[in-house]
Amino acid sequence: MEQSGTSTLLQGAVQDLASSVVSALRSGDHTHVLPAGTEEAGDVTLAAVRVLGADALLPGTLLRTPPDPAGLAVFRKAVEAYPPRADAAPTVRWSHWAMARALHRADPSGTFERPDEPGTGWLDGASWQFLTHQLAVLAPLALPGEDDGVTRAAGRRTVDVARGFVRAVRRRDWRQAAGAGRWLTLLPGVPETLGLRAGLEFVELMGGQDPQVALQLEAARLLARTGALV
Amino acid sequence: MQTEDKVLDKLAGVRSADIEAALDPAEADGVFRDSRECAGLALFAGGGKLLLSPPTPRPKKG
Repeated sequence: MEQSGTSTLLQGAVQDLASSVVSALRSGDHTHVLPAGTEEAGDVTLAAVRVLGADALLPGTLLRTPPDPAGLAVFRKAVEAYPPRADAAPTVRWSHWAMARALHRADPSGTFERPDEPGTGWLDGASWQFLTHQLAVLAPLALPGEDDGVTRAAGRRTVDVARGFVRAVRRRDWRQAAGAGRWLTLLPGVPETLGLRAGLEFVELMGGQDPQVALQLEAARLLARTGALV
Repeated sequence: MQTEDKVLDKLAGVRSADIEAALDPAEADGVFRDSRECAGLALFAGGGKLLLSPPTPRPKKG
């Protein structure tokens, strides 16, 4: 299917932002992930922040470093500029909620109000294939110590996510595999026969040149290192 | 400035449709591995037995 010019622009901006997050996760320096102020951030950049979601603040979240105020202002502007429509898909609503949570955590003294948690009914009884796909899209929610509805739903179906990870690898859907792998580093009861660590290395070898894949793999690596469980 | 206006028009179009499509993507078309590739993958993985399991059934045509 032919992509619109704006869609291509947006995808490029998302890839650039993901690359910056990967660099920050690897180097520990997250001060230049987001533009240094709302004046510098154009529409496409703001939209890219909205698409990358809470992961735009991931270096500060995982490395527990104080947020850069200017970057945080850009993040907040993206949250406020692109709220989900009333009839938006669950992943759109949850992505926005995850950003609001990240913003609130990074700036608890701020005036931003956290919206109510969206429902998880769309995951009830979902096939393992669909569940894995949706979780991979919502990989920014895969963080240590969280207790939101999606995380609880994932925690109840570890084996299904493991099956989905294998399926994604075999389908060569590296983004889905990387997102599912990030979840699996957090979930309890992952089958040892899965070979998750080696599987993630394989995903990196095959798809790691895609910054959005690399971002999930780097997050998984950091999560595995901290040994955090849901 | 006409070119600049066109670019600005394009940027103004980065709104809900493009963003929601990116946040709610359909599953990418997949290419399944055959058994020999999976065996190679298991060797690479150093014992990931699950990756050697039979392929997921595909829907039959017709």
